[in-house]
Amino acid sequence: MREQDWREQVKNLLGRAERLEPGEAKVMALEEAARLADAHADGPLAYEVRDALIDAATFGGFPDRALVAFAWCRGQQQRDPVRYPPEPLLWKQKWVVGRLDEFPHISRKQIAGALDDVEQCFAKAGAGRRAVLKLRYQAARDMGDAEVAEDFWAQWVREPRDHLTDCRACELDDELDHHIDRGEYAVVLEKARPLLEGRNGCAEVPHLTLGSVLYPLFKLGRLEQARDSHLRGYALVQRNREFLATVGEHLEFLALTGNVERGLKLFERHVGWALEHASHRDRFTFHSAALALLERAVVEGRERVVLSLPRAFALYSPGDTYETRTLRGWLASQAEGIAAKFDARNGTDRFHQLLARTKRLGGEGVPFPIDDSLPA
Amino acid sequence: MDHRFQVNLRGVIDLLSHHLYSTPGVFVRELLQNATDAIRARRHLEPSHPGTVRMELIQKQDGGLPTLLFTDDGVGLTEEELHRFLATIGESSKRETLEARRDDFIGQFGIGLLSCFMVCDELLVVTRSAKGDGRTMEWRGRHDGTYTVRPSEHPLEHPGTQVFLVAREDAAEYFTADRVRQLAVHYGGLLPFPIHLTVDGRAEHLNPAPPPWRREYESAGERRTVLLAYGREVFGQDFVDCIPLRAEAGQVEGVAFVLPFSPHFNARQKHRVYLKDMLLSESAENLLPEWAFFVKCVVNAQGLRPTASREAFYEDATLARARESLGQSLRQYLVDLAHSDPRTLQRLIALHGLSVKALALDDDDFFRLVIHWLPFETTLGMMTLGQYRQSYPSVRYVNTLDAFRQVARVAAAQGLCILNGAYTHDTALLEKLPRVMPGARVELFSAAQLPQDFEELTAEERQTVARLRQVATEALEPFRCEVTIKKFLPPEVPTLYGDVDDGAFRRDVERAREETDELYASVLEGALAGSPEEERPQLCFNLRNPVVRRLARVRDTAQLTLSVEMLYVQALLLGHRPLNAREMALLNRGLLGLIAARLDDDEGTGGMH
Repeated sequence: MREQDWREQVKNLLGRAERLEPGEAKVMALEEAARLADAHADGPLAYEVRDALIDAATFGGFPDRALVAFAWCRGQQQRDPVRYPPEPLLWKQKWVVGRLDEFPHISRKQIAGALDDVEQCFAKAGAGRRAVLKLRYQAARDMGDAEVAEDFWAQWVREPRDHLTDCRACELDDELDHHIDRGEYAVVLEKARPLLEGRNGCAEVPHLTLGSVLYPLFKLGRLEQARDSHLRGYALVQRNREFLATVGEHLEFLALTGNVERGLKLFERHVGWALEHASHRDRFTFHSAALALLERAVVEGRERVVLSLPRAFALYSPGDTYETRTLRGWLASQAEGIAAKFDARNGTDRFHQLLARTKRLGGEGVPFPIDDSLPA
Repeated sequence: MDHRFQVNLRGVIDLLSHHLYSTPGVFVRELLQNATDAIRARRHLEPSHPGTVRMELIQKQDGGLPTLLFTDDGVGLTEEELHRFLATIGESSKRETLEARRDDFIGQFGIGLLSCFMVCDELLVVTRSAKGDGRTMEWRGRHDGTYTVRPSEHPLEHPGTQVFLVAREDAAEYFTADRVRQLAVHYGGLLPFPIHLTVDGRAEHLNPAPPPWRREYESAGERRTVLLAYGREVFGQDFVDCIPLRAEAGQVEGVAFVLPFSPHFNARQKHRVYLKDMLLSESAENLLPEWAFFVKCVVNAQGLRPTASREAFYEDATLARARESLGQSLRQYLVDLAHSDPRTLQRLIALHGLSVKALALDDDDFFRLVIHWLPFETTLGMMTLGQYRQSYPSVRYVNTLDAFRQVARVAAAQGLCILNGAYTHDTALLEKLPRVMPGARVELFSAAQLPQDFEELTAEERQTVARLRQVATEALEPFRCEVTIKKFLPPEVPTLYGDVDDGAFRRDVERAREETDELYASVLEGALAGSPEEERPQLCFNLRNPVVRRLARVRDTAQLTLSVEMLYVQALLLGHRPLNAREMALLNRGLLGLIAARLDDDEGTGGMH
């Protein structure tokens, strides 16, 4: 291929990626551009393309691809720190390291190594510890080290903000988890107010927030507000697989309020993401919420459900009809399988605890039908 | 009696101008809003009261600063109400409190009035309440926080309110006839009662006609012409068509204009929206379903809630229902076109295919109606799905660009027509086909499958390539690549590298592992462990290619291995597969080997030439 041709092609791919919504097509266009640059040994261009690729993969639901692109850039950056300044990559490092615990085959030792490495890299850049403390808190929480998490939480929120900490909206949204874990639902809603009212926002907030507040709202009996959060929030997340876990929260809410029909529609639409998502934690959240939904369907006496599921689905039936109990069984085994892997890696029982919580949801339901005419 | 309110008025004004309002020009909107509320309140008492707003620009003979007199014949205020509105503002030192005050008549009146201090230092309000004792009160307020309330020496004949604004020097630009007219039409052009502007003794009716979608027209053609002209006036651009909009929920009506160009996929169009006939926002985004990004619209809603910032509608069940109905209006337009004017629909699809595809994904009936008109890229060029299905019984597609590029070169020469499903919505639409149209056959095609359609070798040919096959298989084993030998077109292609779906990504991982440090190399291994054992890629040799035919006759194993390796590397490069370290070493070794072999030949035969 002539010099002009491939550069033109990379430019076209970058242009196309820029116009695309977050998601697979965007990630693939950038990967293809990176391969072209690699094939023609244009290091700086390959770096620039991967810089965009890490963003697209992170915010488009492909954490594995973000990790691979980051690892490549890191190698280049370490070899030539003059050409590739470290600071821009530090942001991406946070995103990538924040998700390592979602891959069950990455060991605790590797995760700990990556966290220590963040700490050193950030210290070298003259940044404070706030960013790394949040990462440590979140990793400990995700891996079920409750006491360690508690300790890092306290350190994190005390530490002053600096030039490498996440935006206020993200940080506030991340703070909610802690209160949800402790059942402090009123606090959750009070803290979430600026996010829900749109005073602070970013690319993922209030998208995430509107899902996180569903259970607190439900527990406090604020069902109307919960319904509004569901409608508003689902509209924001339904087109981006990055929000698979948030879709799971919406599914759980629909199961709790007995909106099985609506829930099945969501399940049908998003199970394809769950089947191939690189984040097993997000798969788990989705599958266990779907399990609660199917449980509810069984309780309502639905013997069969009609769903058009993707062909990649293990029990795919061209006739679109599925035995409710069979589906429930499949979801239970998926959720159980993932929980077992995580708990074995973590050496804790957090995921089995989460699964036990899902099983308890059946007893918590409060019917609150959502008008069928509303778009799901 | 002189009063001084207990707040720092300057602070409240700052708050308003920096946080609540985008431009000082909104004082006209706030005055119109107050007048509208007052007229509506008076209609509660006297349902047949028509209501009028009069603005007069009074220019000083001596060149002094002009005054704007703003008059309505609404319900007016009593003395007690005058005091109360000030009290409500006194408490409002936070934006949220201010926002909340807007929900009641008195609060809105006060906040609206304060906005005038963005353009003047002193305000005079003269008002007579339709409810009170018939007295006319006047309130004179200054930006420093002092005000007086007293019975007016110039009593009004009828209930209503007059506001006198004396321009502040640095805001004189807002007190010209053109500016006042433009602002009043901008914010209040749809108001259902007359707004008059008097300048130099000449009165002008600013809003003589109802909104264009509510007028009567002689013909559909006239209606279309007027609406399109209106669209051009509002948005400053030409549109290709206009679509009336109506929703029961939220009492929404208006018109949508079809954009003359293809917008970016995720560019949500900014619509102009009116709430209860007053302009709410010129950049509302959440009004239409997501697929409908091919139109821009102007609507007026009577029953939707604004958000706190008044920039959009609040996302609630009513809005969701309204959105659904507006989506139905747009859908109906497309359906009507499909039946009555398919050519126009095809032109529209050419411009706005993404919108149409997105709707078809969500809506089975619509899918059936338009799917055969939708264009797709294929290995034989662009064609509609209808054209494709007329020629080919089964729809074969690939779902990644990479796979498409891999198959395109060879498939076209083989006469194979494969659809490219890598673009937004295309794969989902194709997968939906058999569900919605029973009997349709759709198969996902992979580049590794391509050789299956190639011509098999004869028994005799198989014999002649046996050695090539064996040497090639051994040579490529370290690269986990399998070997096949077939015959395919075009003959100038010696080999075809066929990859499984995520083969390219696996190669990316391999290279990243080589490039990165120890820590991340081990993390990458962890991240990808546990994924299922991959199918191997395949290198298919083409026996129609003269070089491959010659290779089959080569005796020297080293020479043959070297050639196979070079063909492998070439196939990777042609497929835009960057080489990993081992492949790069192969390439270097191979090149040197070829040169050396060439030199050997030369030396061996040197003397003979």
